[in-house]
Amino acid sequence: MKLLPFEKPIEILLKERKRWIEYGKDTKDLDELIKKQVKEIYNNLTAYQIVQVARHIERPQPEDYINALFDSFMELHGDRVSGEEPALGTGIGFFKGAPVMLIFNRKGHTTIENLKYHSGMSGPAGFRKAARVVRLASETLKIPIVTLIDTPGALISHKSELKGQVAAIYQSMSAFINANVPILSVITGEGGSLGALGIGISDRLLMMEYAYFAVISPEAASAVLFKNTNNKEFIADELGITAERLTALNIVDGIIEEPIGGAHRFKEEAIKNMEKTLEKELDFLKKEPVSDLKKKRFERFRNIGVYSI
Amino acid sequence: MDIFRRKNKIVVPVIKGNGENVKVRCNGCGRLIEYEELKKNFKVCPYCGYHFRMSAAENIALLSDKGTFEEIGEPIHSVDVLNFTDTVPYKERLKKIKEVAKVPNAILIGKSKIQSMETALGVFSFEFLSGTLGAATGERLTEIIEFAQKNKLPLVVVFSSAGERIQESIFSLLQVAKVISAIEQYKNSGGLFVSILANPVLGGVASIAMAGNIIIAEKNSYIGLSGPRISEQVMKKALSKEAQKAENLLKAGMIDAICERHKLKECVGFILKSYNRWAI
Repeated sequence: MKLLPFEKPIEILLKERKRWIEYGKDTKDLDELIKKQVKEIYNNLTAYQIVQVARHIERPQPEDYINALFDSFMELHGDRVSGEEPALGTGIGFFKGAPVMLIFNRKGHTTIENLKYHSGMSGPAGFRKAARVVRLASETLKIPIVTLIDTPGALISHKSELKGQVAAIYQSMSAFINANVPILSVITGEGGSLGALGIGISDRLLMMEYAYFAVISPEAASAVLFKNTNNKEFIADELGITAERLTALNIVDGIIEEPIGGAHRFKEEAIKNMEKTLEKELDFLKKEPVSDLKKKRFERFRNIGVYSI
Repeated sequence: MDIFRRKNKIVVPVIKGNGENVKVRCNGCGRLIEYEELKKNFKVCPYCGYHFRMSAAENIALLSDKGTFEEIGEPIHSVDVLNFTDTVPYKERLKKIKEVAKVPNAILIGKSKIQSMETALGVFSFEFLSGTLGAATGERLTEIIEFAQKNKLPLVVVFSSAGERIQESIFSLLQVAKVISAIEQYKNSGGLFVSILANPVLGGVASIAMAGNIIIAEKNSYIGLSGPRISEQVMKKALSKEAQKAENLLKAGMIDAICERHKLKECVGFILKSYNRWAI
C-alpha cells in the first residue's frame, strides 16, 4: 500500500516486520505496536493530512461500493447533447431490492485510470448527463437519487469552458433542486467546490470521516491568497473543511465512521459502514412525503449563511 | 524579443495636473484619455471601445431611469464566521474595505424603473472584495429574487464578481446553491430573469448568471469557471484567456448577445417590453 508522508513511523515498523518474518520471529508484539501507531496517527490528523487521506489512490471507488452493496447495476451513458463523460458515472442500481438512481465521480485506482478520468474532474457533458438522469429519476422512474461525491473540482480547460461548463453546472443544480424525489449525497473523498456542489444538492448530506468538502482546494487557496503553495497546511486548517468542523457548522447532516487507519486500509469495513448508513438514510427519506421534502430542501438552502445587520 | 515590446496594459491611472486634468491610460490600446471625457462616454475608451469597469452606483445610473432606484430592505454586513486569517485577518480586511468601497457588501439591490418599466434590480459592486459572493451578498441577492417573485416583477442582475469568497469558505460555496434555489422558485412562478455579465464573472457566480432566461454580456468581458491563478494551480498549466472571452462564448452559443454599454439600457428595455407581465 502507498504510505502517506505523515505515516513515516508506520513505514519503519513495517520494514522491521518484514525483517522479523525473514528471521522467523513471532510478529505478534510488533503487530500490536503497528496498530497502536496507526491509531495514534489517525486520532490526531490535521486538516491537510485528512485531505491527503481523502486523495489516497486506494480509497474505495464507486465501483467497489456498487459491486459490494448493489444487487445489480446498469450504467447509463451520454448527455444526449455533446457526448459522454467517463469521469462522472450515472446508472440505476438495486439496493436491498429497491431501485435507486446513482450518480458518482470516478477516479480509478491506478495512475493510468487517474489520467483517463482527469482525477475525477467532470466536464460539461458529465453535468448535463447528471441533469438528465435526475430528471429521469424524478419525472419518470420516481426513484430516490444517491450521489457519491469524490472530485477535486469541475474540469477547467479551454474546451470545457467553450462547451459551457458553468452553464452545465447550473443545469445540473437546477435539476437537483427541482427533483420530486428524495436525494441523498455522500462525500466519500474529495468534495471540491462546484464540481461537488454540482451533484451535491440534497436533502441529506453525509460525509465520510476522512473526506473533505471545500470551496477551493488548499493548494489553490494558498496560490490565490499567498501567491505560493507553501501555506497549504495552514490554509487547510483555516478553511474548516473536515467532516468534524462542517458538522459543527451545521452544513453536514452526518458522518460515516471510517475504521481507524482510513477506508483505504480497511476497505471491507468501510463498505459495511456505508451499507448501514445508506439503508438507514434511505428508509428515513422514503418515509417523508415529497412535498414536505421539497419544502424542507428549499428552506435548508434558504437559511445557509451568517451575516450581521 | 518580449522585453522590447511595449506593454500597453498599464492598469495604474496616470495622473497629470492637479486633479482637474486627470488622465487614464486605456487597458485596451494604451492611449491616454482624459478622465472627464471617459466618464462622459460611459467609461468606454473613445479610441478603441475598451470598456472600463463601472462601480455599482455607475451601473445603476446607467440602467435605471434618473432617480427611480430605491434600495430595499436593511443593508447587512459580512461577518467573519470562521475566524479566518490569510495574509491579514479577514476581520481587518472587511473593516478596511468597508471604508474604501463605502458599501456594506458586494451587491446593491432595489426597485427601479428601466425605460419606465418597474424592475427589480441587483448590481454587484466589484470594488468590494472583487464582488465575491459572501454570505451577506448571497442573502441580499436572494432577497431581491424573493422581492421580484412577491411583487411579480422582472429581475435584472448585473454580475461582476471574481466568484466565491475564500475567506467565508463553505458558506460562500453554499450561497450558490441558496441563490439558485431561489431563482428556480422564481422562474417556476413565471418570472423573467435577465442576467447581464460585466467583466469578470467567474466561478459559482458565473453558474448563477447562467440561470438567466436571457444572458447579455458586456463587450470584452471574461466569463468562466475560474480565474487564471486557480486554473494554473489545478490543471498545472495556464488557461488561455481566449476560452473565457465573451466574444468566443457568443460564437460557442453560450450567451444570447454582446451589448455595448451605450446600448445596454435600450437592450434591457427591449427585453422587458417583450415580457407580458400580466401573465404571471
